[in-house]
Amino acid sequence: MADLALDPRVELNPPLVTGGQTYADLTEKISSITEQPPPKQWYFGMAIAVPVALLLFGCLTYLVSTGIGVWGNNIPVGWGWDITNFVWWIGIGHAGTLISAILFLFRQKWRTSINRAAEAMTLFAVACAAIYPLFHTGRPWRAAYWLFPLPNEYLHIWQNFRSPLMWDVFAVSTYGTVSLLFWYVGLIPDLATLRDRAAGLRQKIFAIMSFGWRGSARQWKHYELAYLILAGISTPLVLSVHSIVSFDFATSVLPGWHTTIFPPYFVAGAIYSGFAMVVSLLVLARWIYGLQNLITLKHLDNMCKVMLATGMIVGFSYGTEYFIAWYSANPFEQFTFRNRAFGPYWWAYWTMITCNVLSPQLFWFKKMRQSLVGMFIISIFINIGMWFERFVIIVTSLHRDFLPSSWGYFRPTWVDIGTFTGTIGLFLTLFLLFLRFLPAIAIAEVKGVLHGQIQREKGDH
Amino acid sequence: MAQEHPHQSAADNYFLAPGMWATVRNGLAFLALAGWIASIAGFATNREQFHFSYLTAFLFCVSIGLGALFFVLVQHLSGSACSVTVRRLEESIMRTLPFGVVLFGLVVTGIHYTYHWSHESAKTDAVLKQKLAYLNADWFTIRGVIVFGLWTIWALVLFRKSRAQDVDGAIAHTRNLVKWSAPGLLLLFITASVASFDWIMSLDPHWFSTMFGVYFLTGGGLGFIAVLILICLALRNAGYLNNAINEEHYHDLGKWLFCMTAFWGYIAFSQYMLIWYGNLPEEIFWFKNRLVGSWEGMAIFLVFGHFLIPFFALLPRASKRNFKVLTFFAVWLLVMHYADIYWQVMPVLHKNGISPHWLDLATLVALVSTFGLIFWAQLRERPLVPVGDPRLRQSLAFHNA
Repeated sequence: MADLALDPRVELNPPLVTGGQTYADLTEKISSITEQPPPKQWYFGMAIAVPVALLLFGCLTYLVSTGIGVWGNNIPVGWGWDITNFVWWIGIGHAGTLISAILFLFRQKWRTSINRAAEAMTLFAVACAAIYPLFHTGRPWRAAYWLFPLPNEYLHIWQNFRSPLMWDVFAVSTYGTVSLLFWYVGLIPDLATLRDRAAGLRQKIFAIMSFGWRGSARQWKHYELAYLILAGISTPLVLSVHSIVSFDFATSVLPGWHTTIFPPYFVAGAIYSGFAMVVSLLVLARWIYGLQNLITLKHLDNMCKVMLATGMIVGFSYGTEYFIAWYSANPFEQFTFRNRAFGPYWWAYWTMITCNVLSPQLFWFKKMRQSLVGMFIISIFINIGMWFERFVIIVTSLHRDFLPSSWGYFRPTWVDIGTFTGTIGLFLTLFLLFLRFLPAIAIAEVKGVLHGQIQREKGDH
Repeated sequence: MAQEHPHQSAADNYFLAPGMWATVRNGLAFLALAGWIASIAGFATNREQFHFSYLTAFLFCVSIGLGALFFVLVQHLSGSACSVTVRRLEESIMRTLPFGVVLFGLVVTGIHYTYHWSHESAKTDAVLKQKLAYLNADWFTIRGVIVFGLWTIWALVLFRKSRAQDVDGAIAHTRNLVKWSAPGLLLLFITASVASFDWIMSLDPHWFSTMFGVYFLTGGGLGFIAVLILICLALRNAGYLNNAINEEHYHDLGKWLFCMTAFWGYIAFSQYMLIWYGNLPEEIFWFKNRLVGSWEGMAIFLVFGHFLIPFFALLPRASKRNFKVLTFFAVWLLVMHYADIYWQVMPVLHKNGISPHWLDLATLVALVSTFGLIFWAQLRERPLVPVGDPRLRQSLAFHNA
């Protein structure tokens, strides 16, 4: 290797754990977060998140006791913020599965520092998403009869298995189940670590939660195999869930919804928004708990690159849709796309373009990929942009349908806004509780990475 | 996981023996000559059939070149170490793209036979007349030259920098290649979409599908992995790269073959299902025309042959590490890739069912051996692996977990 100025081995395999940490340091650093009183920023976060989460319960109570007329949905816009929020939340979950499953299969070791938090985020995002299909029925106690194949001659409610909404129920519940399993299997050795450090009731609780893990070679062998199989099972789920969500729209014959690129385009968008949310949360968590040596700039740099790549796929899809709308020579297609950019919702469309296509272009520059403030701001932009993407697809395609006499303009009500804000509150509450009580970084997995790093330094090859 | 074992490697000879190289070249040259003579005979006697057969073979070869470009770009961007030993072969397949523009010339001369938007009647067609600003012979040619121009630039730059690293081993090349690869990947998606819209989608000029570019590139990626596996195994049989590309690397290549098969199934299913479900007259006719007579049998055959059978066969770990199974499915999937393109192109000419023609074979032999010759020329007196790559050692010692 002729280039002596920079050791290529360091450049090609940058350290993923910095600061000369030992195994004991790792255990101490990550476990102590759950053992000591939380820092004041945590209380500050909870003070905001919990009341907002309560707003969700208030709004839902009002909704159920009054009826879904309290939302802004009305003909011609029969789907409004409810499904926008559902798709947005489901999409956010995808980063967790991608990091834990696909990056694992691709041997991307940098995933180890961020996978735990990302997977937890997946579960909370799915929980938030599930609220919308359940409550948009207006009578959530009867929703089960629509959603699951339960015998119901009495109610005369029949499931429509040919509807993608039905497929969604299966896709999302499978996704939630597998994500939970994957996350929990990953947690077991770390929960045992916490158990071993604890005493009294705390020890008993963690003993039960860690299923009596002892860390023997035999257990590790089974564990690693289980992990690999779960990664294999999760991988198609990354594609299937958002593909089926896209089918909700694309199987219709509505211009703006019915287009074949929807499945991969929705999946890319989902990963995009998920990574944006992971970056938003981890930049803060890293700062609050001083995790700079575990979540390094290299990790964040990689996540910015993923956002750039998926953002470009999303931009490419927007472009393809516009081109094909023109190429189709179909006046309805052409109208829908003109209307999106220059109709009454032009502001939503251009917000989407600015946030989703323009803002990630800054990630071409290394400086931006290394700037915490910069990436935090861009990640928030992307979160906003991805929400608007769903809003634009749903509302602009509906609000001017084939009959100009029935055109309308969707406006959200305060209940729409309250419910959506409330789910963000619930999400943040759950995430803060996770940071407080469970190991936010996979201790055992990071130790595996550290082991390789130490071996490399020792062996010097 | 990549662990380092210093005792491996070194034993391989990275250069092809000149005699062996010449023998293969002569074989390919003979096939090319025979193929081209037969093709020219077909050109003179049955122009319409010739152009359809030629287009199918052309798309088959170019899509594989694009698959190579895709994988080389992704490899630089991801910085993966395990795949370094096969990269020079990938680059050599990618290096065939610049010559595609010459072969594209024959597609252009056949526009009138293959693309009915070029006919006078298109001007009076209510739908087509709106598209003629885009679908016309001049722009078709210009777009073809532009996309080949861009692929040429990237193929040459990526190849040269990688070759330069063979000599000096400087890590600066690695960094430089990453810089070229990021915009290259974006351009590849755009240009491959444009190419697939022009070359295949516009055969049925009324039809449109936003997914089509992705579908085309996915098929190419799958075909490319199959070709790569076959080339590696052929070199292995000839006694080359036994250590550099060992069972571990084949296992990975097998995973890619499996992965691309699954992804092709996903894309093909999504495109079909959405159009079937919507059942709109302006879209559904494309599939309807491809389900007429024996085309229907072929469509069902593709579902099984291009997706279900290889999916389940390649799923077990053992089959990805078994060279016989791997060889069989690489050949099988290449045939499927050709069949997939055939099923997209030929129903435009033979509306009532499959109608095989000797020109299908002649043009395929002509083009595959021509592309093969260009590929083979890259390997002359050049190392078969990127010997200067700083990740080579990691790649040689790579082990699947």
